[in-house]
Amino acid sequence: MKLLKLNLSGVRGIVGQTITPELVIDFASAFGTMLPAGTVLVGRDSRKSGLMVQEAAVAALLSTGHEVRNLGICPTPVIQFLVRQHRAAGAISITAGHNPAEWNALNFINSQGTYLNEFQGSELLDIYHLGRFAHQKLKKSPAVINEVNPEEVYFSWLSQKLCTEEIARARFKVVVDPCNGAGAGLVNKFFQALGCELVAVNNEPSGYFPHDPEPRPRNAGEVASLVRATGANLGFLLNSDASRIALVTETGETLSEEYTLPVVAGYYLQQQPGPVITSLSTSRMIEAVAEKHGVPVIRTRVGQSALIQVMLQEDGALAGEGSGGVALRNFQPAFDGFAVMGLVLEAMAVQQKKLSELVRVIPRYHIVKDKIVCPPHRLHSLVAETRKLYPRAEVNSLDGLHVSLKDAWVHIRASSTEPLIRIIAESPSATRAQLEVDKVVAFLNRLLG
Amino acid sequence: MKKRLPLKVSISGVRGIIGESLTPQIAARFASAFGTYLGPGQVLVGQDTRPSGTMLKKAVLSGLLATGCQPVEVGVLPIPTILFLTHEKQARGAVVVTASHNPPEWNGLKFIGPEGLYLRRSQVEEFLDIFHQGEFTFVAAERIKSPRPEKNAGELHLEKILSRLKVRAIRSRGFRVVADCANGAGATLLPQLLRELGCETLLINTDLSGHFAHQSEPVPENLGELCRRVKEFRADLGLAQDADADRLALVDEKGRALGEDLTLALAVAHVLGKKRGPVAVNLSASMAIDDLAARYRVPVIRTRIGEINVVEAMLDEGAVIGGEGNGGVIWPEIHPCRDSLTAAGLVLEMLAESQKPLSSLAAEFKKYHLLKDKMDCPAELAFRAVVELRRRYQSEKISTLDGLKISWPDSWVHIRPSNTEPIIRLLAESRSAVRSRRLIERFKKEIKSIIRKLA
Repeated sequence: MKLLKLNLSGVRGIVGQTITPELVIDFASAFGTMLPAGTVLVGRDSRKSGLMVQEAAVAALLSTGHEVRNLGICPTPVIQFLVRQHRAAGAISITAGHNPAEWNALNFINSQGTYLNEFQGSELLDIYHLGRFAHQKLKKSPAVINEVNPEEVYFSWLSQKLCTEEIARARFKVVVDPCNGAGAGLVNKFFQALGCELVAVNNEPSGYFPHDPEPRPRNAGEVASLVRATGANLGFLLNSDASRIALVTETGETLSEEYTLPVVAGYYLQQQPGPVITSLSTSRMIEAVAEKHGVPVIRTRVGQSALIQVMLQEDGALAGEGSGGVALRNFQPAFDGFAVMGLVLEAMAVQQKKLSELVRVIPRYHIVKDKIVCPPHRLHSLVAETRKLYPRAEVNSLDGLHVSLKDAWVHIRASSTEPLIRIIAESPSATRAQLEVDKVVAFLNRLLG
Repeated sequence: MKKRLPLKVSISGVRGIIGESLTPQIAARFASAFGTYLGPGQVLVGQDTRPSGTMLKKAVLSGLLATGCQPVEVGVLPIPTILFLTHEKQARGAVVVTASHNPPEWNGLKFIGPEGLYLRRSQVEEFLDIFHQGEFTFVAAERIKSPRPEKNAGELHLEKILSRLKVRAIRSRGFRVVADCANGAGATLLPQLLRELGCETLLINTDLSGHFAHQSEPVPENLGELCRRVKEFRADLGLAQDADADRLALVDEKGRALGEDLTLALAVAHVLGKKRGPVAVNLSASMAIDDLAARYRVPVIRTRIGEINVVEAMLDEGAVIGGEGNGGVIWPEIHPCRDSLTAAGLVLEMLAESQKPLSSLAAEFKKYHLLKDKMDCPAELAFRAVVELRRRYQSEKISTLDGLKISWPDSWVHIRPSNTEPIIRLLAESRSAVRSRRLIERFKKEIKSIIRKLA
């Protein structure tokens, strides 16, 4: 089966099967056709296929008459920041985030530095499907400007946003695993500016992923043992474009990526109270944190694009989800792994607490996640079928099926990035959560034959 | 009738108008097909100076990378230099983003195969089959490479040319040369070659920003400035390259444009004077070549139009010199391809050794008048018109190797639909300019009436 997924943030697939030069040129031409005249930024993560995709995307943008600023290997949050800095018409970030190395994707970013909203996303698809692109005659060659160290202006902005002095005074020792992704190498500059002692692994932007670039406990073994061996204050795990973070405590405990949002919110809401935007699939831990600060939690569809749009509409303080991606209103409307790492350090420094102490005040839930491979044309109908399992329960169908039970919740949804149904359940009891997931998985397996 | 989109796919590659028919999608598809055809390996990627060059080059790089090739970016270089380097570096092939002498709104891709030769007709067919079938062998992500830039790759070509010329003899003459690079890729190497040959030079149209000061075909009507400058500079000669730097036209010391066909005649005369052997030229080359070959008692092989056809004949027959009447000189000592740099070297060597001014060397060939013309005609009608002409003139001495060539004792006319543009080309040669002009006008009129009947 050839995998190609279109969603609001862009187009994602397996390189050589669906991510081909022509498909990339078609989508980037549609994007260039949609954008006003001006500069478009292009950056990529470190994947081996990155340059192939980038050359195709740049060819298309030049053809639609846009000047291109080539940021090279560059984390998505940095690209999103630079869009506003350069007053660019938009940007393309070439990264498949947490997906394995054989994947790649185009992520389209508008002039505000956010992923395309619903309307922009559907306009882009309309232009793509119509196939009439605004190729220009190019009487004058549009420029390709190669940026050197584009991240520097971003880092200097970020260090002004953070309580850099307090963090530096704490002299943290930090272990970080950028998974040889776009954050590799850059973490040195970042943690140096914060006065941290750094132990970095997988810190070459080579595109060789030693493990799937998904920040979650099963990939955190190396960081955890290094934290213990070096007596570090904490460990960080990054995805391939430095937009999502998972944490490891000073004891070497690998925290579920669900913890990133409540840990950051627990500190950030003190300075910046306001609604917390999160997805239906995210742990209820955030409810307790929000309640303590007296702010509401607004739940919406899964994915950066939906969360950021609601954050902007509802004047939210922060938006984030259980994948380890968090956007902070006072920083930028984007999942920003560097801002998150900085804030976790700031929370520890300002409050003079260890990471395990910040975690301890968050009520413990057990979240169980599973997934089932499903043919793309059956994804949504199968998800709808699961309603039969819960005839009397309170449900929310904003994004798949979200069921609230007395002592648990379960969320069944079609992935927007892969042909998968994701099943997530959470409960104070681990067995209860597992039971609920098993029930749904068995039901779906029966339907799939 | 629906407007025809001018995209020409031919043995010379693909050409089209940017923003209309030649899109990055098409370029990427061609490059993907070419990468599939060649298989993973080193592929050189060059370009001329057109403003759309970078856009198309990036689409090409993407297609080559996706099929597992290792692109080597050599930048703006003359076509003959890229052909030479493909052989020298033992690359699988090369792609050049160029539309040679087409107007600036055009661009195109030329495909070069192993050993630095243009694809033969059979190879082109295989390659186009892959393109049309659209089944490309994209490699898995971990096998994708990164393009490698290579600077100053052209030096190797100059070294080779200089190693085959009598450099000392040329240097001792201290020639004064005006060179018109037509704002093309030749400007990257011709000035250096002339310096190495001890010439005092005045260079014009060497700006590579992508704007052509004049139409880049090196025909007399485009060389007004060069002729003027030759006189002002009191130069020994003027050199005019086309945008790809494969063709060369000459201006004598009196500031007269000599006509492109003369370059080949001089090169053939010079080389045969040193080394006898077969000569290969296309159907459109001047009768002067036959006279020269008769003088040296060597055979002349006439081929279809198209550089690769001449090159194939040269390689098959062991020709010592050859080329095309459009100023394309092929000297296999350097590399079997048309090369304005090599041609310039040969002409300077000839001037140095003969101790004669260019005008008197040229006078010898002045008895023939070769005229060229063209008329607009959609490709399909053009072919049908030529078929009709063949029928009408079948009792004359004709060649149907390429279009139609009709020969009389001291004149000929050659009528041929272009491979690269929707036009018919007409050439006529005789002992008087008036007669050549009359021949052309007569056949233009006849073709027009045939087209009217066909349409």
